[in-house]
Amino acid sequence: MLPPAKITARLKRTLPVRGPQAPTLSELMRWYCLNTNTHGCRRIVVSRGRLRRLLWILLTLSAVALILWQCAELLMNYYSASVSVTVQFQKLPFPAVTICNINPYKYSAMKEYLSELDKETKKALETFYGFSEGKSKVRRSVDDWNSTGSDFFQQIPLLKVEDLSRTATDLRTGQKRRVEGSVFHKDSSIVNSADSNDIIGFQLCDANNSSECALYTFSSGVNAIQEWYKLHYMNIMAQIPLETKEKLSYSADDLILTCFFDGLSCDKRHFTRFHHPLHGNCYTFNSGENGTILSTSTGGSEYGLHVVLYIDEADYNPFLVTSSGAKIMIHDQNEYPFIEDIGTEIETAAVTSIGMHFTRSRKLSKPYSDCTETGADIPVENLYNKSYSLQICLHSCFQKAMVESCGCAQYAQPLPPGAEYCNYKKYPNWMYCYYRLHEKFVKEQLGCQQICKDACSFKEWALTTSIAQWPSIVSEDWMLRVLSWDKGQKLNKKLNKTDLANLMVFYKDLNERFISENPANTLVILLSNFGGQLGLWMSCSVVCVIEIVEVFFIDSLSIVLRRQWQKAKKWWSHRQQGGSGRAAQASDVERQGHDNPVCIDEDLPTFTTALRLPLPQDSPLPRTPPPNYSTLRLETAFTEQLPDTLELDPDEH
Amino acid sequence: MNLKKYLVRALHRLQKGPGYTYKELLVWYCDNTNTHGPKRIIKEGPKKKLIWFFLTLLFASLVFWQWGILINTYLSYNVTSSLSIGFKTMKFPAVTVCNANPFKYSEVKPLLKELDRLIEAALERILQPGNSSDSVYPPLDLELWNQMPLVLIDEHDKDNPIILDIFETNQTAMGSQTPSPFLGSGPQNARGRLCSQGSDNCTYRNFSSAAQAVTEWYILQATSILSKVPLHDRIRMGYQAEDMILACLYGAEPCNYKNFTQIYHPDHGNCYIFNWGMDEEALNSSNPGAEFGLKLILDISQQDYIPYLSSAAGARLMLHQQKSFPFLKDQGIYAMAGTETSIGVLVDELERMGYPYSDCTVNGSDVPVRNLYSQYNTSYSIQACLRSCFQNHMVESCGCGHYMFPLPEGVNYCNNEDYPGWAYCYSSLRSSIKQRQICIDSCKETCNDTQYKMTISMADWPSEASEDWIFHILSYERDMSTNVTLDRTGIIKLNIYFQEYNYRTISESAATTIVWLLSSLGGQFGFWMGGSVLCLIEFGEIIIDSLWITIINLISWCKGLKQRRARARYPDAPPTVSELVEAHTNLGFQHEAGAAGAQALPPEPGTPPPNYDSLRVQPLDTPGPDSDTDTE
Repeated sequence: MLPPAKITARLKRTLPVRGPQAPTLSELMRWYCLNTNTHGCRRIVVSRGRLRRLLWILLTLSAVALILWQCAELLMNYYSASVSVTVQFQKLPFPAVTICNINPYKYSAMKEYLSELDKETKKALETFYGFSEGKSKVRRSVDDWNSTGSDFFQQIPLLKVEDLSRTATDLRTGQKRRVEGSVFHKDSSIVNSADSNDIIGFQLCDANNSSECALYTFSSGVNAIQEWYKLHYMNIMAQIPLETKEKLSYSADDLILTCFFDGLSCDKRHFTRFHHPLHGNCYTFNSGENGTILSTSTGGSEYGLHVVLYIDEADYNPFLVTSSGAKIMIHDQNEYPFIEDIGTEIETAAVTSIGMHFTRSRKLSKPYSDCTETGADIPVENLYNKSYSLQICLHSCFQKAMVESCGCAQYAQPLPPGAEYCNYKKYPNWMYCYYRLHEKFVKEQLGCQQICKDACSFKEWALTTSIAQWPSIVSEDWMLRVLSWDKGQKLNKKLNKTDLANLMVFYKDLNERFISENPANTLVILLSNFGGQLGLWMSCSVVCVIEIVEVFFIDSLSIVLRRQWQKAKKWWSHRQQGGSGRAAQASDVERQGHDNPVCIDEDLPTFTTALRLPLPQDSPLPRTPPPNYSTLRLETAFTEQLPDTLELDPDEH
Repeated sequence: MNLKKYLVRALHRLQKGPGYTYKELLVWYCDNTNTHGPKRIIKEGPKKKLIWFFLTLLFASLVFWQWGILINTYLSYNVTSSLSIGFKTMKFPAVTVCNANPFKYSEVKPLLKELDRLIEAALERILQPGNSSDSVYPPLDLELWNQMPLVLIDEHDKDNPIILDIFETNQTAMGSQTPSPFLGSGPQNARGRLCSQGSDNCTYRNFSSAAQAVTEWYILQATSILSKVPLHDRIRMGYQAEDMILACLYGAEPCNYKNFTQIYHPDHGNCYIFNWGMDEEALNSSNPGAEFGLKLILDISQQDYIPYLSSAAGARLMLHQQKSFPFLKDQGIYAMAGTETSIGVLVDELERMGYPYSDCTVNGSDVPVRNLYSQYNTSYSIQACLRSCFQNHMVESCGCGHYMFPLPEGVNYCNNEDYPGWAYCYSSLRSSIKQRQICIDSCKETCNDTQYKMTISMADWPSEASEDWIFHILSYERDMSTNVTLDRTGIIKLNIYFQEYNYRTISESAATTIVWLLSSLGGQFGFWMGGSVLCLIEFGEIIIDSLWITIINLISWCKGLKQRRARARYPDAPPTVSELVEAHTNLGFQHEAGAAGAQALPPEPGTPPPNYDSLRVQPLDTPGPDSDTDTE
């Protein structure tokens, strides 16, 4: 029992652990207020009069509240971004320019695949609108009528609907039949198309459950026929392998007549072929495929890309595309050209001059905004072999949903691994499924719009497009002759100017605008703002915070605990006195409280108290001090410093 | 004597530091400083003392670290941008209109006659190689041709291409010629090529298409011919304002061709600038919409185009700032004949701060390139700088100036007769990447970058119903005749107006100002240590004090060496420095006093002098129980 007590005693002597500075809470507060570094608190204690004290309490409290409020504001605004725009004049990378003919495949080459469909379409035109293209064609279509016609066309014919009676006239049989299921107006749900009594449309039915039908109607026959044609066209194209399709479409030699870049001649080797499902063969200039990306070091039209395109208008598919010209898109090398969505159309018999301004933008990703850097954190697989963009994500998401619910992939988008394109033979139900799914997608019911996030950084080329007549009247003659010669011997006829489109793409200036978001706050600035707030209202610092923690939490708590302990002890000793004496245990417990100087009155003398005892008895004060001349002189010179120095001395021992 | 007294007193004052030893000084500092940490070090018990010592050190180092970051941030001169969009009364942009074709063919025909005959014959040869119809033409002057012949290169045999001069039937093999830098030549499609004959070496410029080769060749030749024509003749041959600008309306006010400033542009001949602001104040526009903009009707007379020079027909126009040179090839747009082109304008301004925030120039005076466009009294722009840079290089290496750019003094334009090798020199310079990089590096962009964002839309004009009377009136007004001299292929209507929001200004401001720096520094210091500038001064004071102590110590040590015996006697006069020093630095004496205090009873029983001061001090100490315990 003795040795551990000795050890603890020695420990306490060498490294005394002291309790709070004051015996009671109010004393503690008083001590804190007098000694703290924060302003205001001291005023409360020092002020005289109740009103003043109250005022100071109020002021101090409001200062604390202000600090808390302002610091909360600072914290909440921590994740804000500031935008900076920098302009740099430099050599700029030339963007990739993707050029497509609006017509995807040569109509002459497609004849064998599309003849049935075309016949059907012509027949529809004749029966519904009384249009005939010329005698010979009509005759042929009438002749072949009964022999052709697959199962497929019977399944989804064009219908003339009488809206009020909900009966439809079949194109083929001329029979009237009742329309089941819901009616969709493809054009718009707002337009009241009931005024015209004959609406054209087509009906899609669930193959497994024939009562589940959706009727798509259009306010105009032009739209109806094009949509219907496209539906069947995609069906047919889905069955043709890619290599064949590439052959059916335009070659680089077909499309590009002349090419000129940065004052130098270029040819088809500068173009990369890229097969677009809806636009056929497209050619990308400066695709970066061979590792080098061309750049421009001078702005202006003569230093850009200058191409003359051959648009063979005679070989256009009359039903699939109704406009003529080319479609181009200017994009980054890593970007997939969604030419059907954001392409620019180029007119024939004109020079289209496209001036570009280059802007690069960059957003901060989490936690500043909800964007994605690489798309790796998006649960949708990127089906395109290009860098992430919102468009890619949405299309991939739709395709995924399509494969999941319909079992096959939609023709206009790339194939996911292990899937194949939908066609009527294998998947008779796909069209109904597709239209249903597409409707869901548009109404944001598939969740794609929620999953997909926008990319954090993107490049943008702002275009200024203008058109001039080309070739001019006086130069038309020689220009067309020379271009025909350029085209080569395979083309015997002289070119028509409506078969040509001239395109100029160039940088207007070499200023690159870079718009970037930067964190408005860093930790350093946040801390200095905190410091500014704390200092402004209360002249407080981290030290004060530590003090507050010490005094208000540790010390107060220990005072409260001590009070409780003493109470409990009193109660226990009362009981002890009442009952049998077991003083040994009690004194043992008591010893723990002895390091508290406050407890002196009740406690038995311990080491500390014992040590203290001699001091008040024979303190050196009344004694005559030694003739301390130097200190005397010190005191006269520095009366205020003396206590400190004297106080310090005993500590040395 | 008086002075000495004064000096001694002053020295006293200075010396009256907080203590006489380093320790005293430090303790005093810790107790009295306004920074929050140090006080704790001396006020607390030994354990806490240690903690507080380290805490204070940690906070001090944190403060210095953060200060370093802040100062670094300040020195990086960041900017923040603010964007404002809206409509305000703004200067209407200067509008430059040109014809895509530089000269009237009817006027320049005599000059280009030879060239045209040559090219026609060449085309004939190219297109129909079989039947040579030389007899039809009068004998050709082959002098122009021989300087820069067009050749056909047949590359079916890749290693041994055959060069075919169009006017000579003999085929020469390539091998003997000086090797020429070819670029991207397709093996199957041999096409026309241009050979620019230099002094002794020859380069074949490669074209994949004959149309391009012919156009480029023609432009080079025509440039050479026209550069010899004096400027006023060239202006005369171009389109005149009264012929070109048929009608003009600005807002509700009529204007006519006299409101346009003529400028000669090498690419497009005579150009006319509306609202250039050179002589008179620039016009303001305070309303959005087409009704309050500029409306123009132009005639480009397409029939009078030079057939081989420009194949595109239309007007070229550009919006730019007042007093700036229009660089139509860069920023210009086309307007098509027979249409009405509406252009909605949004002024996109970027106002930047100059040095040191970004590397831009305010007026171009600090750019090491001589601005050749200053002869037009126009302001600096990056395009002007780049072109001047090119022209300066051209003059340096070729000895003559290019026709497309303004001339430095004392230099002539290049032409085939005086400078036979210029075309070769020019094309090698033009394709030189090094030269471009030098120009890009030496030119700086302007701090205020203004772009005019245009929303262009077109419609057919005039409509078929109105065609007749419009042509009639316009022809009558221009030519004072009742015959219709205009037609669809030449007439252009232009509307240029401000959009509903006509400006978008991005202006920069410094992200870190000196005020920001100071408040952040203060914030950091305050946050960690509750300090301020005064605390720094305090600290500096302490350092000075400790220096004093060092000096005093040194002096006393030296004195101690000199005179070993200490003075026992104190004079009545105020103590001098040396005396003070001697007394207080006598460590042995103090130590004794300290030892006496600890042992509570010094051995000397002698009656001390009445120490009133110390008496007064000690009772103050006794009431505070904490201070008592502290001493333990």
